Amino acid sequence: MASAAKNRFKQDEKRRDSDHVSFLKHRGFRWLWIALALSGASIAGYALIDQQPRPNGGTWYGYTLGTIGFGLIIWLSLLGVRKRRINPGAWSLKAWTSAHVYLGLALVVVGTLHTGFQIGWNVHTLAYGLMLLVIITGIYGVVVYATLPASLSANRKEMTRAQMLDALAAIDRQLESAAQPLGRAEADLVIAALAQDTFHGGAWGRLTGNYPRCATAQALIGISQGSDAERRVHSLLEKRRDQLAQIRAVLRIRALLEVWLFIHVPLTIALIAALAAHVISVFYYW
Amino acid sequence: MAFLIRTIDFTAAGREIVRDRMVDQARLTVGRAAECDIHLPDLAVEQRHVRIDAAADGTLTIEALGTLGFGLDGRVVTSGTIAPITGGEIALGAARLAVAQEGDATLVTIRQIADDAGKTDALRGFALASALPSKRAMSWVLAGAILLLLLAIPVASHLLRTPVKPDPKGEVPGQVMLDAAWSTGALSLKHRSLEGNCESCHVAAFESVQDNTCISCHQTTGTHAKMPRLAKGMPPLSQGDALQWRIGTALGKEGPLGCVSCHSEHEGPVRQKPAAAAFCADCHGSLDTRLTDTAFTNAHDFGKEHPQFRPAYFASFGAAKPVRAAPGAKPVERSGLKFPHDIHMNKAGGAARMAVSLNQYGQPLECKDCHNLTPDKVGFKPVKMENACEGCHSLVSGRTISGFSKLRHGDVKDLAEDLAHIASGPRPALAPRRDRPGQIGSAAPYRADFGRPVRSYIGLSNALSPGGVCTECHLPTRGSTGQADLIPVNLQGRFLTSSFFNHAAHKREKCTDCHAADTSKTATDLLIPDLKSCRDCHLGAIAVKTKKIVPSSCAMCHAYHVPAGQWSPTGRAPHYKPAPVADEPDKTVVAAIARSVKQ
Repeated sequence: MASAAKNRFKQDEKRRDSDHVSFLKHRGFRWLWIALALSGASIAGYALIDQQPRPNGGTWYGYTLGTIGFGLIIWLSLLGVRKRRINPGAWSLKAWTSAHVYLGLALVVVGTLHTGFQIGWNVHTLAYGLMLLVIITGIYGVVVYATLPASLSANRKEMTRAQMLDALAAIDRQLESAAQPLGRAEADLVIAALAQDTFHGGAWGRLTGNYPRCATAQALIGISQGSDAERRVHSLLEKRRDQLAQIRAVLRIRALLEVWLFIHVPLTIALIAALAAHVISVFYYW
Repeated sequence: MAFLIRTIDFTAAGREIVRDRMVDQARLTVGRAAECDIHLPDLAVEQRHVRIDAAADGTLTIEALGTLGFGLDGRVVTSGTIAPITGGEIALGAARLAVAQEGDATLVTIRQIADDAGKTDALRGFALASALPSKRAMSWVLAGAILLLLLAIPVASHLLRTPVKPDPKGEVPGQVMLDAAWSTGALSLKHRSLEGNCESCHVAAFESVQDNTCISCHQTTGTHAKMPRLAKGMPPLSQGDALQWRIGTALGKEGPLGCVSCHSEHEGPVRQKPAAAAFCADCHGSLDTRLTDTAFTNAHDFGKEHPQFRPAYFASFGAAKPVRAAPGAKPVERSGLKFPHDIHMNKAGGAARMAVSLNQYGQPLECKDCHNLTPDKVGFKPVKMENACEGCHSLVSGRTISGFSKLRHGDVKDLAEDLAHIASGPRPALAPRRDRPGQIGSAAPYRADFGRPVRSYIGLSNALSPGGVCTECHLPTRGSTGQADLIPVNLQGRFLTSSFFNHAAHKREKCTDCHAADTSKTATDLLIPDLKSCRDCHLGAIAVKTKKIVPSSCAMCHAYHVPAGQWSPTGRAPHYKPAPVADEPDKTVVAAIARSVKQ
């Protein structure tokens, strides 16, 4: 019994340790080595095998690389299915993600050699181009996942997103009562600031952090600090601006973290469609 | 220091009830307990939750009394301060205490807020998805557009088209829509006109380009050999190749002897390249081991193993067909002509002297005075007696008003006719003279001769007999009725019939370097050079190129489909010169044989 408990402890310790290993370093870069081996073998085969009349996707080696590439693309895209299945088993999601990243990179080599460096304006090169775009956005995704979460956490200053919104709501309620003594023009500026959607600015604003039509900033410019009431509204608007800045910093980092998926995922589906058109057309006009 | 505590409640009908009370002290306690200055009946609030202290300048200090914090301007803290000018908001459970300075007093406004329903919806705004179209929608649109434009439309228009006849000139536009996007590369130069008409070659769906389709335009292209013999002569495929072809033929490919196995298309706007020597040597290197009855000897490298040339020539006078010389034999050509090359080529001989004296030559005879290349630069035009020989070997027969009359050359009948017009036999004296006994009517100024044209027969006979003018070049013989006649001239247009030799490419050589004409004493010598003389310069394709040695692949002299036709890398169609013989009975089209093999 004791040894069983000890084993259990060891296992749990191992699991806890592995919980803190990045998917990139999973099992001593196992999938990196596998991907490097696949790329190396593909390049060696391409260099050593005499393909007549010239290397392209239609030689036996071209078909082989094409089949490997096709299988890889389908399998890699299944990560989207796998990650939605929370089930026990030998398939660790981390291992799957690690393989997804490294085999996806190896696909650059396999796919490029499959083309035989013949590029044109056709469905075949479309599939290749889509594949490259998907892989490039994937590389971007890996880089931002490795670097940005730290700054996201730093920006939060121990506030949750809900608290940020609550803080803004609290400021807004105070603004509403503080603005009661103001004249028409200034009251309108406050109304505009309060009415504006917290998340206005669109995807471009989020990515760049640039909000030229921010009503809070405009109200700050428009409201003078003559009376006590105005000073109070002004300082509340400054608080609002600072709170918005924090929210927008979160938005920016999150946008940078997520934007690649808006290319990666739709282009993957487009790639699968282009791949179907590529394979069917090649054999349709064999 | 005083606090004005304003409580705002709502009736069931939604009407606002505002109650104010003044608390004149510098400290407030807030909690669920009844004794607190501000009593909040909310289970989420502690009995004594926070204490609010007012300083002299109006700054408020808020302290949590228990371990539970409170909300201050949206943040959960356990202590905090509120500046009088700005004010602040304290959150305790569902109550919001808005704190602000009003005159000397501090106004505390208490409101109950609605529950947090919809808060998680607000949180969604943080995700980029709220600012971009959904990934799912984008995926459907992109994938749908690709599948429609690049797959569904070409396939549908291909299946629904009306098939048309082969159109080598590309006059009929393609019917399949958007299939240009399927092309893997530009077509070769000769097929450029088919660029927009994919279905002219890709006839049926999921079917490799068929030989029949190629042949529908390339009807005149000869075959290398009959398909069963080709198949038998082929070396066995390697295991890998055999596997590939098994898969390929199972899926409808024509096999390793089909057109497309050699002629791959969509390789860019280039010409088809000649095959590599290895391509020929695959079969011909050890052909005798598989085709045991073949007349060919093995060949794999021109410098190392290549059969001796076997020129075609006429072995007997007037033969209907030429024969091929046995390898290494010294053929005796029976052309029916007398022509000692050495006499004509001797720079100091009589022929040379005569040529010097004639305006049209002006110098000793040269090869090109008689032999002129055909436009393909492979063969020579037939030597015409009138151009090449007549300058010396004159057939002038008399004077006419305009100049000279001459005997026609080429047909003995023409000659007999021409001779009949002139009196080359004994003729009457032109002037009247005294008659002698036995002479008939010769003194008269004009008299017809009604006798048989004996004199012209004699003239013809003289001309055709040994020593006559014709036998200077021709061999005399007797016709079927015993009349004098000549052996017809029988000259081969092309001696090496299974290859081509480009004379223009050898301009820097003298003719006599290869053709021993200057020492040939008789026309029966066949002056075709042998293999050895070619090998002075030409060795196999893998030979090292030097100033003298030319590495020579099979394709330098042989073509696959028409052995004697030279594949020309430049110039206009057809590729093959001379044009291949159409419909030769023993050479059927590839597909026909392919079909017979399949059956």
